[in-house]
Formats: sequence, C-alpha cells, structure tokens
Amino acid sequence: MKADEVEFVAEVARAGAGLSVERDKLYVIESRLAPVARREGFGSIRDLLLAARHRREGKLMWAVVEAMAGGETSFFRDPAIFARFRDEMLPELARRRGRAPVRVWSAGCSTGEEPYTLAMFLLEEKDKLLAGWTFDILATDLNDNSLEAARAGIYGEYALRNTSDVLRRKYFKDAGDKKLQANDLLKAPIRFDRINLSDDSKMLFQKGIDVIFCCNVLIYFDLASKRRVVQHFYSNLLPGGYLFMGHAESLFQVNESFRLVHFLGTTAYSKPTALQAAGAKK
Amino acid sequence: MKAKLHSQLQAQIKKLDSISAAPAILTPLLNMLRLPSDKIRVEKVVELVSYDGSIAAQCLRLANSPLFGCREIETVRSAVMALGLERVRSILFGLYVNRVIPQDKWVIDPDAFWRHSLGCALVTQRMAQKIEYPEPEKAYMAGLLHDLGFLVNSVLYNEDFRECLRRAAEQHVPLHVIEEQVLGFTHCESGQMLCEHWGLSKELVDAARCHHDVSLLPTAGPLACLVHLSDLLCRARYLGYGYDEIMGVDLGSDAAWQTLVTTFPALGNMDLVRFTLDIDGAMDKIVATVDSVFGVKKIAALATT
Repeated sequence: MKADEVEFVAEVARAGAGLSVERDKLYVIESRLAPVARREGFGSIRDLLLAARHRREGKLMWAVVEAMAGGETSFFRDPAIFARFRDEMLPELARRRGRAPVRVWSAGCSTGEEPYTLAMFLLEEKDKLLAGWTFDILATDLNDNSLEAARAGIYGEYALRNTSDVLRRKYFKDAGDKKLQANDLLKAPIRFDRINLSDDSKMLFQKGIDVIFCCNVLIYFDLASKRRVVQHFYSNLLPGGYLFMGHAESLFQVNESFRLVHFLGTTAYSKPTALQAAGAKK
Repeated sequence: MKAKLHSQLQAQIKKLDSISAAPAILTPLLNMLRLPSDKIRVEKVVELVSYDGSIAAQCLRLANSPLFGCREIETVRSAVMALGLERVRSILFGLYVNRVIPQDKWVIDPDAFWRHSLGCALVTQRMAQKIEYPEPEKAYMAGLLHDLGFLVNSVLYNEDFRECLRRAAEQHVPLHVIEEQVLGFTHCESGQMLCEHWGLSKELVDAARCHHDVSLLPTAGPLACLVHLSDLLCRARYLGYGYDEIMGVDLGSDAAWQTLVTTFPALGNMDLVRFTLDIDGAMDKIVATVDSVFGVKKIAALATT
C-alpha cells in the first residue's frame, strides 16, 4: 500500500467512527482490507480504495470503516435486520406456533454484540408480543478469546453508539473506565458455547431453531465448506424458520433449498414449511 | 356495479386534459415521439424542445446528472443526442404528468412518487438488460409510468385517496389492497384507463394494469412481469410510497418470475441478492437524479396531513 492510500484509510476510519489507525502497522491494515476487497468484488485493495475514493460510495466507505474497527462491532449494527425480526418474524411465529419456546442462534457471535442485541429485542417484547413465551438465544463462536469477551459483556462507547440511554440503563451496569457491562437480566436468555461451524458432529446436534443469524461469517469460507455449513443450517431450522446473513452474502449457487425472501430494507433466507414446499412442487 | 364504476371513471379521465396546465408544446412533441423511431426527425424534436425553456432545462439537467456521468453538456441538441429519443420521451411524460396534477391535489408526497417511479424505471430497465429483453428503453418507460393511476386518483378522488394512503400507512399494507376496499377500484385500473386515453402502446397499458397482479392477463407479457418484480423490489428497498410496508416477498416463487424464466432463461442465472445490492448502490444516484430532473418541492408530505 502506498502512503496516500494508508492516509485515506486512516482518514475514513477517523471520520466514519472515530477510530485511530496505526499508520505504521501496514500488515494489520492490509489483512483487514483484503477480505473486504474480495467480498466487494475487487481484484486488490488498491482497486477497492480507488473505487471508494473516486465514487465516494457510502457502502464502500463504511465497509472500510468496519474493517478497520476489526472484530469490534456494535449493538444494533444492522437495524433493518432486527426490525424485520421483531415486526414480521415474531408475529408470524406467534401465529404458527402458539407459545412454544423461541430459539434463536447467533452463529459466529464474535464478542457478543449480536446476541445481546437480540436479547434486548426479545426482552423488550417480553410483556407485549412475547407475553407468556419463553425464549433462548444460543450464541456460538470458534474463537475462545471472543467467547470470553462475549461472556464478560463489557463494552466501550464505539460498540454502544447506537444503543439508547433507556436501554443502557435497563440492561447494563457501570464497569468503570467509561465502559458498560451487560447485567444479569440481559445475560440470562443467552447461552454461550464454542462451536466450529465446520465440525459436522457438533452441527448435527443443533435442532429446533427458529431463526439463525450468521452475518459476515461465511465470507471467509470456501465454497465447499460454505455449502456444508448452510446445509446444516437448513436441517437445524424448523420449517418456516429463517436464516439471516450479512448484506453482501448470497446463497446463490450455494444452496437450492432455502428460499430468498425480500423484506423492507433487508433480505433473509427461509426454510419452506411443508405446505410451501408442496406448493412449489406443483 | 364494477362496470358502472369503470364507465364513470373513464368519463372523468376524459375530462382530465381540460383541467391540466401542460404546456402546449408537449402535445405535438409527444405525438412526434410516438412515431416509430425511423420516422422521428431528430432536428424537429430538438427544435420543439428548444421552444419551451422548462423542457429544455430538464433535458440539460438530466444529461448533466450523475446518471449520465455529469458531462458538460450545454446545448439542447447535444442533450437530446446524449439522452436518446426514448429518454427524452420519458422526461416529457414526467413533465406532462407533473403539470396535469394541480399542486394542491398531490396526495402522495411527489418526492416519494417520483423516486418510486424513476427507481422502478431504472430497475425495470436494468433487469430487462440482464435478461436480454430486446427493448430495455421500453422497459424503462413501462417502469416510469406504471403508477399513473395514483395521479388519476389524486385528482379525481382526492379525499378518498388520501384516506386510502392514510390507512395503508397505518396498517403497513400495500396501497392497492386498501384502494379496493375504499374506492372499489385500484390505481392499476385508473392507470390503465389513463394510459389508454393517452394512446400508449398495449404493452404499457398492460404493465400499468397488471403490475400488482400478473394473473389478470391470460398471458402476461414480459413487460408487465418485469414491472411487477421491479415494483416489489423497489418497495423492499425504501423506494416505495413513503411509508413502511410489512412484506416478505419471495420473488423466485412469484408467478411473474416463473413466467419470465420460461421466456428468458438468463433470469435463472441472476443472483437476486447481488442485484438488490446493485439497487442499494444506485440509490443515491436515483435520488439525486429525481431531485435534479423534477426538482419536486415537498408539497404535502403524508406526515403533515
């Protein structure tokens, strides 16, 4: 990378999320941007940055910011996904299943932002949509350090930047050093576990799941492994269940059984119910 | 009952022209552009466009807009050449429509309307190119005009249509569902009649009529199917009517998709997630173009009524 490219990345990361990029750690910058370039369909980091720079495209700029934030993600990162989960999927589940326990799986939960966000959404509906229901969230990751951080649930301002004061007061406690820690109420519905998505024997045991969130995890998998994991997800889900993936991720030519569903502002894959499957065959 | 309603509607639509304030030059221009392309005299089009300052300005604006690469185009002639006759025709229709509606009659936010229409035009055209449909410009036109019925309903059934939009937004359901309950007909039907009244081609009329239900036609043409799918896609990407809809659309199982796949096998090779992402990427351009071309001022946003 050239000096002006590094400068550009540092500036974008600073303006976008107040991140400070250490300009001398070239290998860190490159190792974070390379997967983004691949994912966005560019031949090299240089091409990615050229496009971001000249087209000033919001999506690309943000991808660069996120990459530079590293594993550090945030709560409510993709509001459309969680809003559709709450407004469209939960009512549908309620209609179909009555008050059976809702099981949600955050596959590749990293340092826990996603499962805690899900927990907040579900807890907020506890007295409304989900009155009388039980629910549990399975949060898994391959990386022990990430899981340990997730279990501890301590976050700084960057991760919490989209979390309202009301939610902060309700679900977090002060952890000193300007940080907040998830309280017991927020931790209660979540079960953290180490699962390697490529480990067939463990994947087989996950059953009866309603919704799987696996965002920006499979982008690092090759096609054959991706196919295997997604086939497992298909068996893990109950009929009518949904799989959410990252924005730029697609099951095109990966899996034919899932059906792509467009929601307002987001897409999800659904496992057809017996009725839908029969209708499709006609 | 429905037949009576339809003939009433038809009679009203015929009167629409007389209440419009469309510039006189538009009619001969549109007549000229309605001819087969080998019969159109480009010089005559340039001349007619030049007569009306506002039309000329719109052509220049669009030719210089982000969609056309922000080139420096300064003459009407080069603007017309850069845009192509089909695109000029679309602009004229847009202008025409804008002036048919008196400002106080807009029920839907004009910004939302033009974003949805132009978004749909661009997506229809893009999809047409992907599946190698022979006339992508016609697809653009079909997308642009599919919701003309909104304008008919705004002018002729102002209060009732306002109520439709209010209820649709409140219940987060598609507008045509409520229109059927409140008005007894939908913008698809009134749009179809306006398209017929304006002498548009049968394919464009069909696209307006069937864009929410392709099964209305015994054999839905590709244009109607394309518009139906792009309309859904646009609404799923915040290019709808200005309110949030509860949806959950499986395009791959849609009758329109199935019909198209049999005629255009290339559709089977389309990664819809990628395509949807393309639309997200083009969104800024769509919004910028609508703003620069139509320069619509927010007149009566739904929220304020």
